[in-house]
Amino acid sequence: MTYWTIFLVTAEAAAETTAEGGLFDIDATLPLMALQFLILMAVLNALLYKPLGKAIDQRGDYVRRSLKEAREVKEKSEALAAQYENELREVRRQSQQIIADAKAEAEKISASKIQNAQQEVAAQRQKAADEIEAQKTEAMQTLEQQVDTLSDQILEKLLGAELVN
Amino acid sequence: MEILNNFNSLVVFPLASLEVGKHFYWELGGLKLHGQVFLASWLVIAILVIAAFLGSRNIQRIPSGMQNFMEYVLDFIRNLAKDQIGEKEYRDWVPFVGTLFLFIFVSNWSGALVPWKLIEIPNSELAAPTNDINTTVALALLTSIAYFYAGIRKKGLGYFAGYLEPTPILAPFKVLEDFTKPLSLSFRLFGNILADELVVAVLVLLVPLFVPLPLMVLGLFLSAIQALIFATLAAAYIGEALEEHHE
Repeated sequence: MTYWTIFLVTAEAAAETTAEGGLFDIDATLPLMALQFLILMAVLNALLYKPLGKAIDQRGDYVRRSLKEAREVKEKSEALAAQYENELREVRRQSQQIIADAKAEAEKISASKIQNAQQEVAAQRQKAADEIEAQKTEAMQTLEQQVDTLSDQILEKLLGAELVN
Repeated sequence: MEILNNFNSLVVFPLASLEVGKHFYWELGGLKLHGQVFLASWLVIAILVIAAFLGSRNIQRIPSGMQNFMEYVLDFIRNLAKDQIGEKEYRDWVPFVGTLFLFIFVSNWSGALVPWKLIEIPNSELAAPTNDINTTVALALLTSIAYFYAGIRKKGLGYFAGYLEPTPILAPFKVLEDFTKPLSLSFRLFGNILADELVVAVLVLLVPLFVPLPLMVLGLFLSAIQALIFATLAAAYIGEALEEHHE
């Protein structure tokens, strides 16, 4: 209990401890502490600030680079997509053109065939009509000849052969 | 004093004691050293070096565990230095400002969190290294040297021409400032930490249970703030020395 000292006021403390010690006792602790601090700084620089700082910077670079690459890839893919879109549109247009062409062609062909068929039919009908006509005239001629012959015979019978010639 | 003595006799159990201004002296070639400060500071240094070693032992691109924590710490320090010194020059000063912050922070917290009093040393007691004036003056003087070095390295002797800016009338005050800066730095830290430890110790002496706890928590907060203030001011002084004077 005797050596217990309570100093609530620093001034008292300074007054009590006279020759040695005290609150503001500056001695060789100061430069050695400074030296110790500098050594600690060097050690921490080698152990902490340099390697971890480098790691942080490298990570920053990596992230920035990755972002840039990703942006480039995105732009590229967007350009490709646009190009494909264009090509697709072109191809679709071509295919429609081809379909239209084919349709027109088919129509043309069918029209010409129908016309041919009609022409043929007309020609055959004409031919048949001509034949009928020819046969008719032939029949008429035969008929006329027979009528002549018959009328001659009738005349002969009625007037006698001498009068006829 | 009488009241104090009466009070002393009231305390029967040796639950806590206060020792201020008593040092555990070491002799080194005729020089006197405060042993308790060095013992405590070695623990602080050991904690820092081990933490730094664990943090940078196996550096990965995707940090985890200790590396993550130390990167957070380093990021904090870098931002502190960057804010005060500027984007262009802060990198050179990260080790100094960072070591200041870490050393003071761990020292202050060690005073509150490490049960130093359990270790008996002759004629003194262990406490935070920062509650010794030698430590804080050493750090403050290093800060002064650092900002002079920063200014002179950048501008040569032209740095002192900056004392005449913006007007030569203010030059004496600027010279005075060079003395008050380390003084205020060292005494602010020393006073805060010592006062905090004294208040807690006195309260523990009066009411050993529970009552000192809020003050201890406040002490932790205060200790962290003091470390931040010291490091920020040091960085600000360096930044000021590096600042270009616009003619």
